[in-house]
Amino acid sequence: MQRIFSMMVKEFKQVFRNRPMLSIIFIAPILQLFILAFAITTEVLHIKLLVCDLDRSQVSKEVVRGFGNTDRFDLLGFSTDLKEIKEKMKAWEAQMALVIPPGFSRDLGRGQNPEIQVVVDGVDGNTAGVALGYARGILGEFGTNYVKNRPNYTQPVGIHLVNMEERMWYNPDLSSQQFMVPGIVVVLLTILPMMLSALSLVKEKEIGTLEQLMVTPLTRYQLLLGKLIPFLILSYVELAVVMTVAIVFFKIPMNGSYLLLAGLAFLYLFTTLGLGIFISTITSSQQQAMFTAWFFMVFMILMGGFFIPIENMPPILQKLTYLNPMRYFIYIIRDIFQKDSSLFSLLKDAVPMTAFGLLIFSLSVLKFQKRVG
Amino acid sequence: MKVIEITDYCKRYDGVAAVEGVTLKVEYGELFGLIGPDGAGKTTLLRAICTLLTPDEGKILVMGKDVTQSIMDIRSLVGYMPQRFSLYQDLSVEQNLRFFADLFGVTEGKRERRLLQLFEFSRLAPFKKRKAGELSGGMKQKLSLSCALIHTPEILVLDEPTYGVDPISRQEFWEILRSIQKEKTTILVSTAYMDEADLCDRVALMHQGKITMVGTPEKIKASFHYHLYRLEGKDVRFLRDFFQKLPSVRSTQLFGDTVHVSFCKKPALSDWKNWQRDSRGNLKRWASQPPSMEDVFMESTEKER
Repeated sequence: MQRIFSMMVKEFKQVFRNRPMLSIIFIAPILQLFILAFAITTEVLHIKLLVCDLDRSQVSKEVVRGFGNTDRFDLLGFSTDLKEIKEKMKAWEAQMALVIPPGFSRDLGRGQNPEIQVVVDGVDGNTAGVALGYARGILGEFGTNYVKNRPNYTQPVGIHLVNMEERMWYNPDLSSQQFMVPGIVVVLLTILPMMLSALSLVKEKEIGTLEQLMVTPLTRYQLLLGKLIPFLILSYVELAVVMTVAIVFFKIPMNGSYLLLAGLAFLYLFTTLGLGIFISTITSSQQQAMFTAWFFMVFMILMGGFFIPIENMPPILQKLTYLNPMRYFIYIIRDIFQKDSSLFSLLKDAVPMTAFGLLIFSLSVLKFQKRVG
Repeated sequence: MKVIEITDYCKRYDGVAAVEGVTLKVEYGELFGLIGPDGAGKTTLLRAICTLLTPDEGKILVMGKDVTQSIMDIRSLVGYMPQRFSLYQDLSVEQNLRFFADLFGVTEGKRERRLLQLFEFSRLAPFKKRKAGELSGGMKQKLSLSCALIHTPEILVLDEPTYGVDPISRQEFWEILRSIQKEKTTILVSTAYMDEADLCDRVALMHQGKITMVGTPEKIKASFHYHLYRLEGKDVRFLRDFFQKLPSVRSTQLFGDTVHVSFCKKPALSDWKNWQRDSRGNLKRWASQPPSMEDVFMESTEKER
């Protein structure tokens, strides 16, 4: 116990001696928060919209007005030619087109659920997805108003598009900050423990101090615990700092339980600390460790639903994300932040996440045992 | 009881033997030198004694305990100073010492007394707040030694401690080793500097993973059966080549601007006169020379060929 404690004290001394590292640990995530929350936004404004109104009725004009009343869409103009839509989209002039079929108002009046075609330029998948979401919202609203303004209208109304996406419910403005900031918490709890543990373990190997440690009566378990506990503590301190900034400064609503978040974060840290140990066993210099950690990080972030929504991925890649422990934690964190989910409802993500964590951690520790000594 | 007892130790790396069948005994309280060039297997042997390597064959006992079994006991008994400086460069001199004292479980009272002692001989006290990475080579060496001694070990194992250190610091370092030995510590030190062998009580010459000779430096030098002469002349290279061709010559060796030549039979004065003539006046002076450790070592490796 005394030895683990000495090891921890030494580790903290080294971290605090290393000023540049220390400032990176604390300033970088906050900077990241600002950049990701402001600059990289999935919020889409001024979508260039082309309208092709083949109905030319009072009702169809009402639909178009709905799109014109928001700064999310910029009405480019009207067209009667479907070919023109194709050309404009090819020339990057239009991002979205609304095609209202002839007889739209008549069919609507008869309650025949007429269809409006929404054509979206899918090159930028994210924008396309968000734009479709807006369109759905506007058309839904149109439907409600239509019924409200016609008290004698008894037919069931519906405008056939795709089903409403569930997430819109919790984030109706699709505000990207609400979505991104909890993600940043996850990224933080991935990068920091993984990098710190991998680098500090490899550093002992690179500088040769590991050899000096191994001739003392310090066991390998004591060595690992003495190394990992300080990084665990640092991760929590950092988590607290970033959450405070997110809640106080960005006014991100935190609806769930802090205790639940901290507890599940602990389970997630098994994965990231375990990966750190693993990286230290397959590399022999800090440089190698850095690159390897980078590889893991990029894979986890891209395949975890942080930037690219998992729903937007091809089916094969979607299945692959089940192998990524980060995927589960992103769901968990977003659920806690936005829906105040209980532990019970989070189990379907928490169980696989914990299983991955324990597996990765114990295999890495075993591998570490074999390598050292 | 022997302090260190090595029996038929073998260690291979990827099928290549680093140490091949070494048998060696180190007595209580002696300063034992392991002498040999780079790649002789010295480090492998020392690391094995410190429980850092398991043997492929053979056995090592430290104070009667097997290095593969009583690992923790042996680690408390042995102080090891690796060849490369391997302390925390970003921690201060004092922080390094205190950290290792804690790891060895040195109690507080003992630790403070020990620190004073170590600072006294190493004269590092004025630098105790300085980061280890900012010390000079000689001071790093002394700090490394202090860390290996922090738990007052029975046995001190040093792997080429004076490698790359200036001559004055080297001399000082050996004086420190002598003073540590007086405190009843057994010391096993490896070195590639042949002249340092004379400073040990007993030495073992190591070459290509094998021990070629063991004994006191005097005994080893006395085992040199040939007649060694130091020759001086105009062109030493020419002299060496000239003597190498003579049938009565056992070996020749360049030593700076002289040539050491060993003869199987003591040459007569008439022989020298003949050689002086035959070497076209290149041979100026010759004198009988007591063999140095290096001569003996070269001779012992010669046999291998």
